[in-house]
Amino acid sequence: MEEAVVLKNITKRFPGIVANDRVNLQIQKGEIHAIVGENGAGKSTLMKILAGLYQPDEGEIYIFGKKEKIASPNKAIELKIGMVHQHFMLIDRFTVLENIILGAEKKKGIAIDKKTCRQTIKKLLDLYNFNLDLDAKLEDISVGHAQRVEIIKVLYRGADILVLDEPTAVLAPQEVDELFVNLRRLKEEGKTIIFISHKLDEVLNIADNITVLRRGKAVGTVSADSVTKEELAKMMVGKPVLMKLDKAAAEKSDVKLSLHNIVMKGNGGKNSLNGVSLEVCGGEIYGIVGVEGNGQKELAEAVIGLRQDYQGDIKVCGKPIHGLSIKQIRDSGVAFIPEDRHRQGLVLPMKVWENSILGFHRKDKFKKGMFINIKKAEEFTLNNVKEFSIMISSIHQEIEGLSGGNQQKVILSRELSQEPEVILAAQPTRGLDIGAMEFVHRQLLQKRQEGKAILLISADLEEVLSLSDRIGVIFDGEIVAEFAPEEKTLEDIGVYMLGAHRKAGESA
Amino acid sequence: MKRDRNYKILALKIAAPVIAMILAALISSLIILAIDKNPLQVFYTMFKFSFSRLDSIAIIFFNATPLIFSALAVSIGFKMGLFNIGIEGQYLIGTFLAALVGFSLKGLPAAIHLPLVIMAGIAGGMLWSFIPIFLKVKRGVHEVISTIMLNYVAYSLIHYLIADVFKDKQQSLVEGLGSVLVRTPKLAESALIPKMHGFLSIFGIQLPKHVYLNWFFPIGILLAVGIYYLVSYTPFGYELRAVGHNPEASKIAGIKPDIVYLKGFLLSGAVAGLVGLSDLLGYFKYMDMDFPQGYGFDGIAVALIAQNNPFGIIASAMLFGFLKRGSEGIQALLKVPMDTIVILQSLMIIFIVVITKIINDYVKRLEKKEAA
Repeated sequence: MEEAVVLKNITKRFPGIVANDRVNLQIQKGEIHAIVGENGAGKSTLMKILAGLYQPDEGEIYIFGKKEKIASPNKAIELKIGMVHQHFMLIDRFTVLENIILGAEKKKGIAIDKKTCRQTIKKLLDLYNFNLDLDAKLEDISVGHAQRVEIIKVLYRGADILVLDEPTAVLAPQEVDELFVNLRRLKEEGKTIIFISHKLDEVLNIADNITVLRRGKAVGTVSADSVTKEELAKMMVGKPVLMKLDKAAAEKSDVKLSLHNIVMKGNGGKNSLNGVSLEVCGGEIYGIVGVEGNGQKELAEAVIGLRQDYQGDIKVCGKPIHGLSIKQIRDSGVAFIPEDRHRQGLVLPMKVWENSILGFHRKDKFKKGMFINIKKAEEFTLNNVKEFSIMISSIHQEIEGLSGGNQQKVILSRELSQEPEVILAAQPTRGLDIGAMEFVHRQLLQKRQEGKAILLISADLEEVLSLSDRIGVIFDGEIVAEFAPEEKTLEDIGVYMLGAHRKAGESA
Repeated sequence: MKRDRNYKILALKIAAPVIAMILAALISSLIILAIDKNPLQVFYTMFKFSFSRLDSIAIIFFNATPLIFSALAVSIGFKMGLFNIGIEGQYLIGTFLAALVGFSLKGLPAAIHLPLVIMAGIAGGMLWSFIPIFLKVKRGVHEVISTIMLNYVAYSLIHYLIADVFKDKQQSLVEGLGSVLVRTPKLAESALIPKMHGFLSIFGIQLPKHVYLNWFFPIGILLAVGIYYLVSYTPFGYELRAVGHNPEASKIAGIKPDIVYLKGFLLSGAVAGLVGLSDLLGYFKYMDMDFPQGYGFDGIAVALIAQNNPFGIIASAMLFGFLKRGSEGIQALLKVPMDTIVILQSLMIIFIVVITKIINDYVKRLEKKEAA
């Protein structure tokens, strides 16, 4: 069989780190090849080399048997390598068609020849069995469809090798299935697909072969039929990982967080929250799942006080919080782990210790006269760094330079250090590797053990299922079902998430 | 390893303005050549005129004084991510209020009158900065637009007040010659800032009479130090920087960005209110239609070159002071028009913006690579 991509001894060094260390990789033409590894294992670097964004320091690249130097992204396209990025590079106000042809328009004179473009794209859609409305504005289509637009975009540019970077991170389970149908169809037509992920179930489901990267090295390539999830996880982290969390029974106490009939107006006259009621007790993790954009964000924003324009009552430890400032709500014992740590959780250009006291910088313990008691703040930070084993070179380093996992640990240590009664965790493990993820999970479970109430909002079903004591499915601003994790299968939950059944008589 | 990198970054940051200055000097040389003068001689004269004479050095300090205040005011805005383009209007209003208090109160001891005058200046600056920040916080009006507009309002308002309302009608003409000035009455002696001549003579430094270096210069230096500590080490300064870099994360942490904007902008306006006082209380002693304008915009350039570092601001304000003094020198001695130096100044600003951007991107890339 012909080899689409062969990498030989690829080494890429950055100051102080070897991102790829003599990586060898062989990808057959027409296969789906998954590349898995923890964050920081070198997956992205390797793919950026393939996409022409980085140049390797050593090693050789062969594309379809020919030795090539991929000096630029344009060269990559020339070599028929197409990259589907995790964050879509699309323009909301353009139509699907315009998005696809942008930058590669066929012209008639000086005008864009939309007719020819449309025909070309139609042919592609028919060939690969993609369902897309070319005249819909991008802002009106779902995330799953937007991803299809990205895929068609690279196919339109003639790609034979498709690189998909964490394509399922933004999708609901049903959409993942649709994506996989599409990918298999592409494979049938002879396209080669490189699939980057750290979701092992998906990788085992879709891939033919799997290459595992660990600390910049390729530790092995295995066929998907011959390996189990546990074996893969072991290859990834180098030690066996507890897939089932030790969840000791926790003492359930009084209700610490209660939401009663919360209604919030959204855009375009539709309510983004439509009468949400739920209660979280001390010693309990309440998980909220749902397809993104069904009110999870607004729910979190209402609880932390970022948005006050809602009706209904929210009580923390029995006291109503509607109308209180964010600071007052935090002072009443609410900790918040925001979903977007770069935008909402950290001030990236500021130092690690400065980020460690964000929000608590006016507390008496960090004061010395009119100044911040830097010594105390540093001690506090060093203590957190030790307790949460945060990997940094110095607490005076800008937090921008830390890995995602370590940044999240800084947020976690900051929020949990204040002995909160209620912890609001929104997507607390998004983008983290298995090691960091496990750490976050253990911290949340420990807080549950200590009798705190935890409201967990996550798009990662597996995470919610393994952590939660109770689960609520949110759809269209409503909790449409509530149940204990062992009561439902993944498929059932998926059905609820897509709104097929509303309130089918479930109770807590 | 890490430490090496830190030194490298620091070196690059210092190198940026130096490279910009050299490039600007090279291009200005072409312009000087184009008007048939020798650039080497021009630069030599600038340096010689500025640094071989005691009075020149003192004049450089005097020139730098308003720019230090102005650039500090700008930098406070920048720290929280706001552009206070309104320093210009703020200092004109501040200067006028100070003049008003200076000429209308009489018979006070200097120890009371002078602080009152300075406070009036601060109040004027704060007043004129309150309008745009109030509009921003309450109504979302962009501060760049409102401050620029308010600059024009301030110009006109000051002209009206000086020419119509408070014009000094008791001016006596010398032997009936010339015409009366359109200006306020002279300020009371007790409102004026003392020169530094007496103090410096203790150290054997005798400044000539035509030098107006006054105590606002050391006040500016002290203020720079104070602002450095305020921004770097107080909870308020911390909030200023946090909000400046990421208002959303600050808000979620319980900081109220609007309050920080309000306080920070008023502080910026307060500092801006001091910009004109060295000239008013140490040189003119009245405010007229020709009171120096443009310190507000020069302050933006000074802050830009200093990258908002208070100590850098002192240095770059001195640089501007030197260029001004040097340009007087080459005009007088070589008949090279002062505008040459204005061109040099403008080029420097352009280069500094471009080079800083390039260097910052490079430093970011270095750090990114390390983190990848």
